Amino acid sequence: MERLGELWRRLKFIFRRGRFRQELQEEIQFHLEMKARALRDAGMAPGEAGPAAQRQFGNTLLLRETSREAWGWNLLETVLQDMRYGLRQLRRNPGFTLVAVLTLALGIGANTAVFTLVDAVMLKSLPVADPQQLYSLGADDNCCQMTGMQGNFTIYSYPLYQYLQEHNPQFSQLAAFQAGAMPVAVRRSRGTDAAQPNRGEFVSGNYFQMFGISAYAGRLLTSSDDRADALPAAVMSYRVWQQRYGADPGVIGSTFVINSKVFTVAGVTPPGFFGDRLTGDPPDFWLPIGTEPVLNGPVSILREPGEFWLYLTGRLKAGASVAPLQAQLTVELQQWLRTLPKLDEGDRKDISQQRIILTPGGAGVTELRDLYASGLRLLMVLAGLVLLIACANLANLLLAKSSAARTQMAARIALGATRARLMRQILTESMLLAVLGGAAGVAVAFLATRMILLLAFRGALYVPIDATPSLSILAFALGLSLLTGVLFGVAPAWVSSRSQPAEALHGATRSTRDRSAMPQKSLVVLQAALSLVLLSGAGLLTRSLLNLQNQQFGFQTRGRYIVRLDPSLAGYTMERLPGLYRRLRTQLAAIPGVLSVAYSGYSPMRGENWSSEISVEGHPNGGYKNEFLPWVSKTPSWVRVSPRYFATVGTRLLRGRVITEQDTPSSRPAAVVNETFARKFFPKQDPIGKHFGIGDNTHNRDFEIVGVVEDTKYQDARQPAYATFFLPFLQQIPRDDESAQNVVDGSNYLHDIELLAAGRPQNLEPQVRRALAEINPNLTVLSMTTFDEQVTRNFNQDRLLARLTGLFGLLALVLASVGLYGVTAYNVVRRTNEIGIRMALGADRNTVLGMVLRGAIGLVAIGLVIGIPIALAAGRALSSQLFGVKGYDAGALAAAVLILSACAAVAGLLPARRAASIDPMQALRAE
Amino acid sequence: MGRTEIPPGTLYLLILKTLESGPRHGYGIAERIQQLSEDVLTVEEGSLYPALQRMLLKGWVMGEWRQTENNRRARYYRLTLAGRKQLGLELSEFQKVMAAITRVIQTA
Repeated sequence: MERLGELWRRLKFIFRRGRFRQELQEEIQFHLEMKARALRDAGMAPGEAGPAAQRQFGNTLLLRETSREAWGWNLLETVLQDMRYGLRQLRRNPGFTLVAVLTLALGIGANTAVFTLVDAVMLKSLPVADPQQLYSLGADDNCCQMTGMQGNFTIYSYPLYQYLQEHNPQFSQLAAFQAGAMPVAVRRSRGTDAAQPNRGEFVSGNYFQMFGISAYAGRLLTSSDDRADALPAAVMSYRVWQQRYGADPGVIGSTFVINSKVFTVAGVTPPGFFGDRLTGDPPDFWLPIGTEPVLNGPVSILREPGEFWLYLTGRLKAGASVAPLQAQLTVELQQWLRTLPKLDEGDRKDISQQRIILTPGGAGVTELRDLYASGLRLLMVLAGLVLLIACANLANLLLAKSSAARTQMAARIALGATRARLMRQILTESMLLAVLGGAAGVAVAFLATRMILLLAFRGALYVPIDATPSLSILAFALGLSLLTGVLFGVAPAWVSSRSQPAEALHGATRSTRDRSAMPQKSLVVLQAALSLVLLSGAGLLTRSLLNLQNQQFGFQTRGRYIVRLDPSLAGYTMERLPGLYRRLRTQLAAIPGVLSVAYSGYSPMRGENWSSEISVEGHPNGGYKNEFLPWVSKTPSWVRVSPRYFATVGTRLLRGRVITEQDTPSSRPAAVVNETFARKFFPKQDPIGKHFGIGDNTHNRDFEIVGVVEDTKYQDARQPAYATFFLPFLQQIPRDDESAQNVVDGSNYLHDIELLAAGRPQNLEPQVRRALAEINPNLTVLSMTTFDEQVTRNFNQDRLLARLTGLFGLLALVLASVGLYGVTAYNVVRRTNEIGIRMALGADRNTVLGMVLRGAIGLVAIGLVIGIPIALAAGRALSSQLFGVKGYDAGALAAAVLILSACAAVAGLLPARRAASIDPMQALRAE
Repeated sequence: MGRTEIPPGTLYLLILKTLESGPRHGYGIAERIQQLSEDVLTVEEGSLYPALQRMLLKGWVMGEWRQTENNRRARYYRLTLAGRKQLGLELSEFQKVMAAITRVIQTA
């Protein structure tokens, strides 16, 4: 009870500190007056009584201190006092504060942003229940759709999925989902809205149960949705429901037209869920795998055992162990593969090599992780370097400040301040700085994360990565800055507080020794070296990016536009395609400003590739089929193109003719090939007039090569062009089985329209949309971009790395220059006396200028000597990321050296000029 | 004039005792102790006021601002119930120690 009352009074005291001080003051005043009066009454002269009372009373300051201490709040009191004092100090040196806070903010911001990205892409699990129970069947390095043996099986057919699901009760759920999401055109059944382009993905009915996800509204899919007789259902993403349909509850249970087929939207996924992988533009609609035949019609692959297009992920039951299950799955796979029809000799031999490896699936399909892994690692290193430079800079600033404060500190110690008290005060100041810098760093981090996401996912409409830095990362960065502040703010202060005050006061202004600046100088050297590494790295990456973008692609992007379209989404059958293509050509060509219209199965650098094995007429063994040749040469890429295609994308014809209106379904099958194709399959021969076919050894419907065009990069900007042949649309390619026929027939659907326009036509996009809507309102434009943008999006990662390294390099340069300026300026101030003496003894201004400048340049020179080998080593490590630049590029290194030296010269020259303008008389007088 | 320091640990007792007869201000407390001890004991202001603060915290005394006879504002300290109890405690403790010391001195 007593304790409680005491605590209460103690608490009340904090809020009455002001009144307490005032009351105590009044009390002391009263006491003094009473005492003086008593002395006067005793006969003392009135003038002497006051001072005498004061003398007898003793140290009022000390009394006030001890009275206050009685309440036990002295620690808080001093901390508050220190903070007030610290803030005052920071306000008094706005330049120092600004530079220090900025330094910290940039260092913390850059690191937090990069680590947020790393966390989201590399470390986080999918937002699903118990992600550690999930296992993927295979490592996901194959995509989309393929036939044949895979070695490590990663993608599966639907019959194979069903077989594995039946035979493995160790999985509480084993789900299948499409390896690559697809564009779908979606509109509500009621209403007249045009269909909207969206992303769709086929998933098995138990997909959501496997992830442990429940519906936000309505219901999610179940296994019964997979049945052929089920009413087609679809699940909508929360994002689309919110943004496109305004969270309208009427959406649930209503019918939608997806690719011209009617679906019922059964429900909405919870807000955080973005599917089975982290990617730009995740699926908006999940469709039951059982509806694939409905949507794809004749080209359906659901029942094809040999068409692999699904990823499998399962939730392991408690107690099931991975190794035996993996072995069991492999045995089952091999058994199942033996039952496959249409296996050739080679495939049969390979079956015993096929296996299934279980990999943790909690992170989902990690395509993004694989894509960005090397880049993110590099970014982490860069951010770390920036933080190191920032810390060095902060350390430098604090060191300079503490040596400037030496005299002041000595004076305070001489006046009776304890060392602990001084340390505490300096600690508070450093902490304040760190907290201010940390707060600014959080702001920088928010902006930087958004900027990095924008750079990394250029072209994506939506990225499911939270740009909010995580608390643990923020805490880490803040802790680091606090540590830096404490280490470099307090350590030098502690050292100087140990010096004898008398000594410090005595020799404060006279010094010819340079030793105290040693740590500062080493820090500047370190900064210069690191800046050089970053600058030369930025140079390398920028040159590489320019090389990538400005290389000879074999096409022209200027004035070209790409319109993505898929007539199959609007329900076009093969028979209706000729009419559609005719109308497309005339309608689009009629748009003012459009010079040329073409279309193709896919356009260059779109990220698409079709390839098939070919057999060349007159070649032994039916062409190259059984020869072991690299993938590219055995199975060249091919694409169907329209008349005027090559002129529209700007590819030059080298020999013969291009594909024209004369190449009709009834004319002789024709093909145009590229240079690499001609060189590979017809070395030292004239390819014109030669014949080849796709997988057809009878050579009855072989294509005749009618022309050769220049090599054009369609797939990989870093690789030479693939051997490629170009076919006209709608000419039949006969295959020996139905499913292969359906796939080949699918190549007759255009996916890209290419437009060449004069100048920069206004409103081109709406005009194109209108023209297409006039042909058929169900024709959904999936996207329209300039050709240049399509190519540029291939270099997102390269651009991200080049820009960020450049930015970091610039940052490092600024920090290093500020550091060098600070050290030099500080030295000039410290040596004012000495310089004055030198000048008095006959040194002229140029000598002084040279002396100071030599000191500054010398530091940078040491930095260069250390930095150049590191930069060379860093370049070597980078070389796998580079295109058309060697890791040891003299130009980039020379440029970096030059820039750094120029900045160093400026940073050194400013204080040097000040030194040279010292008036010897004044310098000597100023003690 | 020979001044004798107040024996350690007895300052609280002396303050509490002087307040038993009624509220006093700080100067009054010091003067009263000096007067009653016939100028043998002198209270240092440097220990008086911190001691009063500690007693305020412990709740033995309460401070209140009042007019003095000379029409000056001063803080008067008044004994609380807890203070009265504490006075009893301190007193018996002191007498015990005093008696013990006396016995030691007389027999030795």
